Amino acid sequence: MLTIKDIYAKAGDKDILKGLNLEVKPGEVHAIMGPNGAGKSTLGNLLAGMPYVEPQSGSVEFLGKDLLALDPEERAAEGVFLAFQYPVEIPGVNNMYFLRTALNAQRKYRGEEPVDSAQFLRMVKQKIKAMNMRDDLLKRPVNVGFSGGEKKRNEVFQMGVLEPRLAILDETDSGLDIDALKIVADGVNQLRSADRSFIIITHYQRLLDYIEPDFVHVLADGKIVKSGSKKLALELEEQGYGWLNQ
Amino acid sequence: MAGLINNWLSAAEQLTVNEAQPAWLKAQRERAGMQLKSYQDPSRKLEYWRYADAGRLAEEKSSSGQLKDLGEVPQWVITISEHGYNLSENWPAHLQVSSIMDAKPEQLKDLDFDQETAANLSNTLLYSQGVGLIAAPSEDSGQVVVIYDFAEAGKWHYVRNQFVLSANSGITVHEQLSSGRINVVNVFDVNSKARLNRLQHINLNEQGAMVGFTCYELAEGAEVISMNWHQGGSLQHHIQQVNFNQSESLFKSGSINKSFDNNNITDIVNVNHHHKNNRSEVTHRSMAKDRSQIFNNAKALVAPGADQSEIEQDLKNILLSEDAKIFSKPELEVYADEVIAAHGSTIGALDEQSLFYLQSRGIPVAEARDIMIESFEQEAIIC
Repeated sequence: MLTIKDIYAKAGDKDILKGLNLEVKPGEVHAIMGPNGAGKSTLGNLLAGMPYVEPQSGSVEFLGKDLLALDPEERAAEGVFLAFQYPVEIPGVNNMYFLRTALNAQRKYRGEEPVDSAQFLRMVKQKIKAMNMRDDLLKRPVNVGFSGGEKKRNEVFQMGVLEPRLAILDETDSGLDIDALKIVADGVNQLRSADRSFIIITHYQRLLDYIEPDFVHVLADGKIVKSGSKKLALELEEQGYGWLNQ
Repeated sequence: MAGLINNWLSAAEQLTVNEAQPAWLKAQRERAGMQLKSYQDPSRKLEYWRYADAGRLAEEKSSSGQLKDLGEVPQWVITISEHGYNLSENWPAHLQVSSIMDAKPEQLKDLDFDQETAANLSNTLLYSQGVGLIAAPSEDSGQVVVIYDFAEAGKWHYVRNQFVLSANSGITVHEQLSSGRINVVNVFDVNSKARLNRLQHINLNEQGAMVGFTCYELAEGAEVISMNWHQGGSLQHHIQQVNFNQSESLFKSGSINKSFDNNNITDIVNVNHHHKNNRSEVTHRSMAKDRSQIFNNAKALVAPGADQSEIEQDLKNILLSEDAKIFSKPELEVYADEVIAAHGSTIGALDEQSLFYLQSRGIPVAEARDIMIESFEQEAIIC
């Protein structure tokens, strides 16, 4: 599904990714861990097409297409979703309107018929109930006045509505209490399927107690330096990242 | 004396020849003429015209446009044209309307214009259309829509309106202009505990122009909510002047100014806190694109002894292209001791992070910009 080959990228004027390789197959869940400043968020932003992150060399292929040649909205319509570490607030635009606009824009790109407001309302009400979230979220302006946990839940809810092929969760667990963490993890687990993959960027092993990864990778100084199973996350929790400097 | 003022004086002489005018009006025009003779033409040397092309006042262009769809709100329409005014059917009994030309001199508010407002003084010299409206208290909650119907006419038109809200009355006045070139002076006399919602939609094509001066006189416990949408036109120059003449009153102004192509929009709000315990809030959201420019100015003067005044000025602006210009100035002049005042002004571009957020959900960049602009505007919509 996703093949990243020897990618180098800058964030602003800093070299952040330095020869990163990663292969994600359909249905797999990959956890990316690593110390601060290693390039984890830069990887997520690069895949979603943030203009601030500029690829220098290497390639990223997603479902047979050159992902780096696509605009951010085209990547989204192709099935890439980034759950932001710091979701932005959009005053005056309610979640329902925002999500229907996003869904129909993606459908238009794919040559599908738009969803009308009645169909959409039925669909989101069903989803929000299934994801055990409060439906007042739908009427509120996007992320305005949301607590940190609500913002993260809203990201997962958006993911549920847009049904991407590849979801990248950038520290979605940060700032969440245990209950919120479970709700977010449940949301992700409900979306797991044979043709949907996840890249979960996190600092802590605790999220992986709720979302079982197929692979865990350690990202340090812009590249993946170690890969393994879920056991690797447990080792990191015990040992920290000091061994990277030895 | 310069060209523009000369033109106004010549036009006033023509009015004298062509129209029979009452003695008081003749005297008023003579006074205005004498005053104008001592002034310079509006130009960039003046604060109020520093960021607008006053040369556009001299242009005479034809224009036409479309009025805003008013939707389903119950309404009573006053149409003002060069032929006078018309009222819609079923006019309510609690609203008395007459031609401004039939007003008695003692009923008319004497406005104090100076060099900065010479273009508004020209209105006193030249107005020959407009209405006087007196609102009595009523349970009827429709809105009065004032439509300026000067389409297809190339010359400037001068309109004077005076609205008197009796004590405890409440009305909505919705002013609309979509075409033509018009110089309007509105006076709102808002008596004790009266409530005024004043909406203004000025959406002009590239030849249209409006020079507007609106004066609000607020008595004890009066409340004025003024919501303004200004878009397009060769020139839009709006001044709102607010006088708190007693206590416990509220004035709120929200403006959305959209200046594209080569528009010039000036939006000035002067609030005079002459007395204690009054509150004013001014919220402007402005966007300029292409080679257009906008001047935003909110000024509050708090007189000595006007304690417990509360003032908020919030001016935010977005530049949508490199050639566009926005000048934004909140001003507080406070001579009282106990006052709560806050002001802020920002000018920036659309937030790249927010744009990326919308794009990352699949929304094309042009649509994402529109959503962000809509979001930005919402903050200024106060009614």
